[in-house]
Amino acid sequence: MQNFMQILVSGISVGMIYGVIAFGYQLTFATSKTLNFGQGEALTLGALVGFSTVTFLIALGLPPLAAYILALPIVLAFGLLQGAVVERFGVRQAIKTKSEAGWIMATIALGIIFKNMAENVWGKDPLKFPSPLSEAPLTIGGVNLRPMEIAIVLGALAMMLAVEAFNRRSIYGKAVVATSNDRDAAGLMGINTPLVITFSYALSSLSAALAGVLIAPITLTGANMGAALGLKAFAVAIIGGLSSGLGVVVGGLILGITESLTGFYFDTGYKDVPGLLLLLLVLSFKPAGLFGKSAIKKV
Amino acid sequence: MNSKSVWGAIGFGLALTLGAHAQQQPIKIGLSGPFTGGSAAMGVSMRDGVKLAVQEINKAGGLLGRQILLVERDDEAKNELGVQIAQELINKESVVATVGFINTGVALASQRFYQEAEIPVMNNVATGSLVTQQFKAPDHKANYIFRNSANDAIQSAMIAETVKRAGYTKPAIIADSTNYGQLGRADLEKALAERGIKPVATEKFNIGDTDMTAQALRAKDAGADVVLTYAIGPELAQTVNAVVKIGWKVPVMGSWTLSMASFIDAAGANGEGVMMPQTFIQQPSTPKRKAFIEAYQATYKVDRIPSPVSAAQGYDSMYLLAAAINQAKSTEGRKIREALENLQTKIEGVVTTYDKPYSATDHEAITANIPVLGTVKGGRVVPANAADLEGDNALRVKPKS
Repeated sequence: MQNFMQILVSGISVGMIYGVIAFGYQLTFATSKTLNFGQGEALTLGALVGFSTVTFLIALGLPPLAAYILALPIVLAFGLLQGAVVERFGVRQAIKTKSEAGWIMATIALGIIFKNMAENVWGKDPLKFPSPLSEAPLTIGGVNLRPMEIAIVLGALAMMLAVEAFNRRSIYGKAVVATSNDRDAAGLMGINTPLVITFSYALSSLSAALAGVLIAPITLTGANMGAALGLKAFAVAIIGGLSSGLGVVVGGLILGITESLTGFYFDTGYKDVPGLLLLLLVLSFKPAGLFGKSAIKKV
Repeated sequence: MNSKSVWGAIGFGLALTLGAHAQQQPIKIGLSGPFTGGSAAMGVSMRDGVKLAVQEINKAGGLLGRQILLVERDDEAKNELGVQIAQELINKESVVATVGFINTGVALASQRFYQEAEIPVMNNVATGSLVTQQFKAPDHKANYIFRNSANDAIQSAMIAETVKRAGYTKPAIIADSTNYGQLGRADLEKALAERGIKPVATEKFNIGDTDMTAQALRAKDAGADVVLTYAIGPELAQTVNAVVKIGWKVPVMGSWTLSMASFIDAAGANGEGVMMPQTFIQQPSTPKRKAFIEAYQATYKVDRIPSPVSAAQGYDSMYLLAAAINQAKSTEGRKIREALENLQTKIEGVVTTYDKPYSATDHEAITANIPVLGTVKGGRVVPANAADLEGDNALRVKPKS
């Protein structure tokens, strides 16, 4: 039982990360029916910008935790900017011309450019991110976990709740929801839909950048850290359903937990298989995802 | 001066320039290794070691009166890219030999092109036991693949012997899913079986995995009393982090990759005390080692070499190759191979002194007596038993066959 709880907890913390990245996919898909395939690279850049800021602040004499908290707004601001750049150069033209595939190629290309940039600026070696919290494990109810794992879950939840609250409560959020429901009608009602889409991309990269700084202290930071995670999160977005914010979070948890459970109870060599089987099952029986609303596409 | 003599003078001048040009044409040597990704620390250190040797050789007048020109390529630890680079180096760059290969998979995939073109390869880091066996006699007339790193058979035997001597009976093996990890795991299982030990758990993970809790818990549940690893830096760090996280106090040993800077840095305090075989430890235990460490630090402005083993083996591989080219008095692949198989000069290297390191049937310069057991202490690799590198023990040479 203790082992089960231990595995469950580690599955949840991995799943939360998948969920946050997938949440970014969901944000842009809702408003523009497009995705940023460079989401993994947005995560990489967020983590690396965080790395530089934190090491700079620590060099100034700040303790790691204070440096980390001060670095967060910088990382989030950078995420917003990076997302807006992706939308402006990769997606806007494709949406304007109603191109079916242009944005796919463009966001992949931008992802590669960002990765190469990261390699040139931060080098090709993986870097050790100074941990803001103690690295010694805590024991809670017989389960061992690292303080950073708790921070990951809390940080991810806080970010997603903030975005949801913004969408539901504020006038700007309502513009986002309206654009998601019907872009053309929202445009006719006087909502600046291109701006809403730019904003959703900015938010999407912000969530990836946050995921980056959250996991950086427990893994290594480097130009290649985002690629595998971006792909996993894509599977999560499909399982959970791209049209539901709650869906991607639950999808992330499902994938994270099944991976850990299979690894422990079956065989660590087959850890990735059940997640992919689940993906195939969802695609065959509920293509819109477990929580997605199936929409009829009018041609 | 009539026009005829003018043309004659121009022709004569042209011939002189061409002649001089031919003499100064550098000897091209290929260098293939990963300079990006998880293996980059090894690739970059190896490259820098090789470059250091080339600088020294060129400064001393080069080879056969010509300078050495390194043609460096990043194979990104990808098999298919390694193959592409091999073909480019052979056909386009016309290298006379190639040094490098960190990753066993890349070495196995790329070497066949050199073998076919009869161009020698010095494997200075890749450790897969198969690497030098791929083209051995009698199936092949001549083998162009040489090595100066401690192969996995040597390393796994050393790990198994340490396990047995320490009295552990229930090892758990945790390895990555690459060629390196899985071939190493097989070698390790074999070496343990020879000593009557059977692993109680064998776990696996993929490159890029960040959470090894499941693997560590399974090993713990199986009642393991020691954890043996076969993987590379970043994932090794995640493995020891998971072991510590679940509150498991267990000794960790593994292949030489536990000395990678990316492991030591990411594991931090959790990585202290892990043990691994090392052909070279960054300590000035011989005058040659002292000179090498100082030259490396001065040239690349670092204190700790990212992967000291790779740097030292890279450096030595270039000197072995240079000695062979000098002896062959030719850059023809077949003659270089023959010279390597019958080297007349003793080469004082960083890892060991090479006295007839190769023969027609033996292409391994490093034997089981050469590596020592290293351990991580204070963020650096030091000898596990200080006596291993003291006095007469410091220089360990291949026994005469």
